[in-house]
Amino acid sequence: MSQTASADHAAGIAGTGSAVPAIATSGLRKSFGSRVALHDLTLAVQPGEVFGFLGPNGAGKTTAMKILLGLVRPSGGEALVFGRSPAEPAARRRVGYLPEHFRFQEWATGAELLDFHGRLSGLGGTELAGRIPELLERVGLAGRGGERVRRYSKGMTQRLGLALAILHRPDLVLLDEPTSALDPVGRREVRELVRELAAAGVTVFLNSHLLTEVEAVCDRVAIVSQGRVLASGPLDDLAGAVTQLRLLLDRADRELLALLGRHGEVVAVEGTAVTLAVGTLDVAPDLARLLVTSGYRLYGLVPVHRSLEDVFVDLVGEVREG
Amino acid sequence: MSVLVVARWTVLEARRRRLVLAGVVLSVAFVALFAVGFALLYASQERAGADPGALGGALEAREELLAMSTILVVLGLYGVQFLAALLGLFLGVASVSPEIDSGALHAVLARPLSRLQYLLGRFLALAGLLAAYVVVMSAALLLVARVVAGYQPGDASRVVALMVLEVLILLAVSLLGSTVLPTLANGVVMLALFGLAWLGGIIGFVSTIPPGNELMANLGTAVSLLLPADAVWRGASFHLLPPSFLALSSFANGEEVGLPFGSTSPMTGAMLAWALAYPVACLALAVAAFRRRDL
Repeated sequence: MSQTASADHAAGIAGTGSAVPAIATSGLRKSFGSRVALHDLTLAVQPGEVFGFLGPNGAGKTTAMKILLGLVRPSGGEALVFGRSPAEPAARRRVGYLPEHFRFQEWATGAELLDFHGRLSGLGGTELAGRIPELLERVGLAGRGGERVRRYSKGMTQRLGLALAILHRPDLVLLDEPTSALDPVGRREVRELVRELAAAGVTVFLNSHLLTEVEAVCDRVAIVSQGRVLASGPLDDLAGAVTQLRLLLDRADRELLALLGRHGEVVAVEGTAVTLAVGTLDVAPDLARLLVTSGYRLYGLVPVHRSLEDVFVDLVGEVREG
Repeated sequence: MSVLVVARWTVLEARRRRLVLAGVVLSVAFVALFAVGFALLYASQERAGADPGALGGALEAREELLAMSTILVVLGLYGVQFLAALLGLFLGVASVSPEIDSGALHAVLARPLSRLQYLLGRFLALAGLLAAYVVVMSAALLLVARVVAGYQPGDASRVVALMVLEVLILLAVSLLGSTVLPTLANGVVMLALFGLAWLGGIIGFVSTIPPGNELMANLGTAVSLLLPADAVWRGASFHLLPPSFLALSSFANGEEVGLPFGSTSPMTGAMLAWALAYPVACLALAVAAFRRRDL
């Protein structure tokens, strides 16, 4: 079943051609009264990409996602999903969505909800009869489809939401904080699900403020705060843009700092430990030799990559202070 | 197609929320109560009329029986339309805004489903349930009256059609409210409107009491235009009256002024046209408002 799904997706992507991005927004703006939720959001997500949309709470992530689903009307700018306006119902046929609060009609059973949503997405009764148990199994709800959603725990409801999002084998899946109610095991399962979707050629747009989650699965990220994109690009570029060396010596005197300053920027000095930002790791062997010949005793020299969290905190912190 | 999927889902919801069960149980109780009360009153009136010592002749006794049956039937159907009207208001109020408040609508409207299709599906399902309720209840009451008293309404199908129209008006206006107002506010507004429409009917009735009052009649009509629910009920109640009741001598010589909760004259064509256009206009406004709404 999943093999056919991959084949379908591969065919779908080949059919659309690489020219049409899965998501394209330009100058997207939304204000609710005087509060501006989104300023000038411009981004493009290519088919097959796993894109992380990162930002603190209230950054406008959910608003952006709702615009991409036609749930919210933009105040300005343009949003396109596979080249079409999400306000057209037909444009949403290829899109799956897990809402942030994953609330569903509580009087219905999980299987009934899947059936309802499946029919709205154009699936037939016989197809759904096979697809629903398979999906419940896939998200860890095997045998629970006959229970009312009211009796589900939060984690189970979020799992049901994931099943609803991938029910109709969409080409683009929008996940808004998909692991907020899940335990560590559940989070890992979601990561695996996202990787499987990506392997099948599905584009995934992930809203999250959980950086480790994004680091683990996303190809590219955009960091947003107060409705603006602060940085975007491939994960390695963002996180690895600055490389640091952590040095442990017998002493850290003024001569040492002057010497190090010629090879990079001293970021921090803690006792005899110095953190030095360098352009490239290639300076490390030369630096070690220089330090030793200058009479310092070198106990350690370790390259430190900045984590996405560091980048995030720096960027968001700057905006908040500014 | 999507409209039908939403309609089916709405009926399932009504069943799951035990709305259908509660409706059936209450309706059976209401019809049973009406049947017992009607039969007892009719029997006692019949005995009083058959008493040779009673005032007046056999003709007057028959007229008394007819008048009593008619009043009981009008009151009984008044009860049915009142229950159906409240049901229509509640269902309309609960149709959209609670789903927005709970967030359950987000996932639904992210599907390839237009807001027009969603509202239409909701409306059609609820309208079907309400129409079925009105038809079954009215038919049951009229059947009881026929069996007990041989009662023949003027035009039963018009009675039922107009009562259904009344409920559709209330459903449409409260559904419109549900797309623009929070649930509680909508409930308050709708009950106030419903009360106002009822008052409009009473004002209209009072205005007919001799010597008549044109200003009050106009006021009653103006209020009815705001929400023509009570006006449509009055139109329905006219067709409940047997022709023989209208021919009673007390009407002919102007001694009686009519029925406070019903009407002894038919609806005007203009009011009927307005009442037919009203739910359509409400639905059109609801769609326009809902399309613009951010979720």
